[in-house]
Amino acid sequence: MKELRAKVLENVPVAAGVNRLTFLLPEAVEGLRCGRFVNLSVGDGAHLLRRPIAICEYSENTVTVCYQIKGAGTRLLAQRRAGDMLSCVLPLGNGFVLRENEQRVALIGGGVGVFPMLSVLHAYKGSGRQFYSYIGFRNKAAVCAEEAFKALSACCAIVTDDGSYGAFIASERFGGLRVSADAERSLPADRKDEGGQAFRRMNAVAAFFEDAERAKPDVILACGPLPMLRVLKAGLAERGLRVPCYVSLEERMGCGIGACLVCVCDTEGGEHARVCKDGPVFSIGEVKL
Amino acid sequence: MADLRVSLCGVSLKNPVIAASGTFGFGQEFDALYDIGVLGGISTKGLTLEPRLGNPTPRIAEGYGVILNAVGLQNPGVEVFLRDDLPFLRKKNIAILANVAGRTIDDYAAICARLDGEVDLIELNISCPNVKCGGMAFGVRPESVKEVTRAAKAALCRTPLIVKLSPNVESIAANAAAAQEGGADCVSLINTLTGMVVDIERRRPLLANNTGGVSGAGIRPIAVRMVFEACNAVTIPVIGMGGITCAEDALEFIIAGAAAVQVGTANFTDTLAMPRIVEGLHSWMDRHGVKNLQEIRGTLRLNG
Ligand SMILES: Cc1cc2nc3c(=O)[nH]c(=O)nc-3n(C[C@H](O)[C@H](O)[C@H](O)COP(=O)(O)OP(=O)(O)OC[C@H]3O[C@@H](n4cnc5c(N)ncnc54)[C@H](O)[C@@H]3O)c2cc1C
Ligand SMILES: Cc1cc2nc3c(=O)[nH]c(=O)nc-3n(C[C@H](O)[C@H](O)[C@H](O)COP(=O)(O)O)c2cc1C
Ligand code: FES
Repeated sequence: MKELRAKVLENVPVAAGVNRLTFLLPEAVEGLRCGRFVNLSVGDGAHLLRRPIAICEYSENTVTVCYQIKGAGTRLLAQRRAGDMLSCVLPLGNGFVLRENEQRVALIGGGVGVFPMLSVLHAYKGSGRQFYSYIGFRNKAAVCAEEAFKALSACCAIVTDDGSYGAFIASERFGGLRVSADAERSLPADRKDEGGQAFRRMNAVAAFFEDAERAKPDVILACGPLPMLRVLKAGLAERGLRVPCYVSLEERMGCGIGACLVCVCDTEGGEHARVCKDGPVFSIGEVKL
Repeated sequence: MADLRVSLCGVSLKNPVIAASGTFGFGQEFDALYDIGVLGGISTKGLTLEPRLGNPTPRIAEGYGVILNAVGLQNPGVEVFLRDDLPFLRKKNIAILANVAGRTIDDYAAICARLDGEVDLIELNISCPNVKCGGMAFGVRPESVKEVTRAAKAALCRTPLIVKLSPNVESIAANAAAAQEGGADCVSLINTLTGMVVDIERRRPLLANNTGGVSGAGIRPIAVRMVFEACNAVTIPVIGMGGITCAEDALEFIIAGAAAVQVGTANFTDTLAMPRIVEGLHSWMDRHGVKNLQEIRGTLRLNG
């Protein structure tokens, strides 16, 4: 964990209201990992809190994040140009770790929660695992990183809340897995385009549950708005699905490093856990949602 | 290099820069970013006799140049602190201020008795609601400031007592004087100012607790004025805080009369704020040919 001044290499829109920001680290940083996050300074003197953003991709000396332009801080971040300096504290939190026996992995991402899921795909690229991605956006304009999800997943469903876009794609490169006729029927489309892609009103969790029996994941990773994670937790319990499931939570933060107890969530044991330090990734059974 | 040492109620600090309560935990996390041994001291998260869970979330919000917090004294309890956190802090060779809180006068006395001789200084957070007085904070009226100070002081034989004053009061000078009359060895100020942020879409306060404590750069002029008034009202040392972000900010408080300073919110904005302030004090004093802090402390001259 370090506080560093990094140079912005790129800060460009990738979908409506979403930017991708890549910065150059001035020195090596240990422990970069999918699901961990960086705490970015807004840097104008008026906004005193850093903004926590998930690491989306990284190399030895660069980190890429994708962020939604939401309030004052992210609006200011969006004004940063290549060459500008940016203060960041990184890497923070625990992140996602896949065990050896977790070969079939379901990724469920909603809204800005898709980026931590993308970070898992990047991090485990070439590991031989099969990823089943269920990715939800508000509408077609918000859809981003579709190509990356398609390219890195064995099977990938892109859905939208309003049905303005949707796609269900199985890649042959991953063990020749195809959408079986059955699976395709099990995803009845409101509309279908010529390529047979399903275009429908749906959220990522519903897409996962429709496909769960075919995907048979060894582990489920999820990130998205709280209502989405609640539906996932309830759905797993209802269906008696005993697959290990890890969720990445969001909470407003002060220090970002575990010292101030601002960012807590409730645990099932009746205690508090710090999202910034004990999380943001928790076993779904461990936390009250 | 200038001499930054200060002595607070007989406790010597290598420099006047102390981490403010609640923003620094018990030091371990920040120690992963830099050696906290470079600091003058640390004031711990507010401790209570029993563990407390604190308030629901969201616990933090932002205003212009300020933040609001409503953590609500979440802490593991004094016994866990003594067992798990104090040994680490002891190794760091910095002044340890145990910030303590309670719901009743007896709570304050009991926690002071438990910590007596275990830490370097005790800092009484009197901004907490007094359950026996309809929830009005202990720190509001001078009479109750004096009463809680007296009870805490009576429970202490070895450790000097700092009373941390609330700014949400009629007269900071009267309350500072009341703390001294109650037997305080030192006062610190300011604690946070009470504020509110409204989420206009939901038409609800943004903080789950509705109101929160305002801190950060934007409160500094208020804090400097209050520290100056407190310094003029007492003969015991005063620790100043509120919105300090850099060495120049800290010097405002020292020139106004503070013996030492605490830094809170700036640790969030800039995790390395405190070591930078220590360095900045050295370079400012060297540039100005000031050899030690006593030369400038309380040297403020009013206009006219
Ligand atoms: C671990 C973690 C990872 C995240 N990863 C991403 C990501 O990859 N992409 C992305 O677009 N967003 C992500 N977020 C959410 C992101 O932090 C907020 O959208 C952002 O802080 C909003 O800042 P603002 O200035 O636009 O909004 P403002 O409303 O001006 O923010 C005011 C304050 O509230 C905080 N805040 C507001 N919304 C959130 C939120 N949802 N979570 C936490 N703090 C919030 C801000 O940090 C700031 O302190 C993540 C949050 C967490 C906790
Ligand atoms: C998140 C947070 C938690 C705090 N917790 C405590 C506390 O437990 N006890 C206390 O006396 N003051 C507490 N404070 C107040 C600070 O110690 C300090 O008095 C105040 O923030 C003003 O200084 P600053 O502007 O440098 O932050 C807290 C402040 C913040 C921001
Ligand atoms: S933000 Fe300070 S403990 Fe998590």
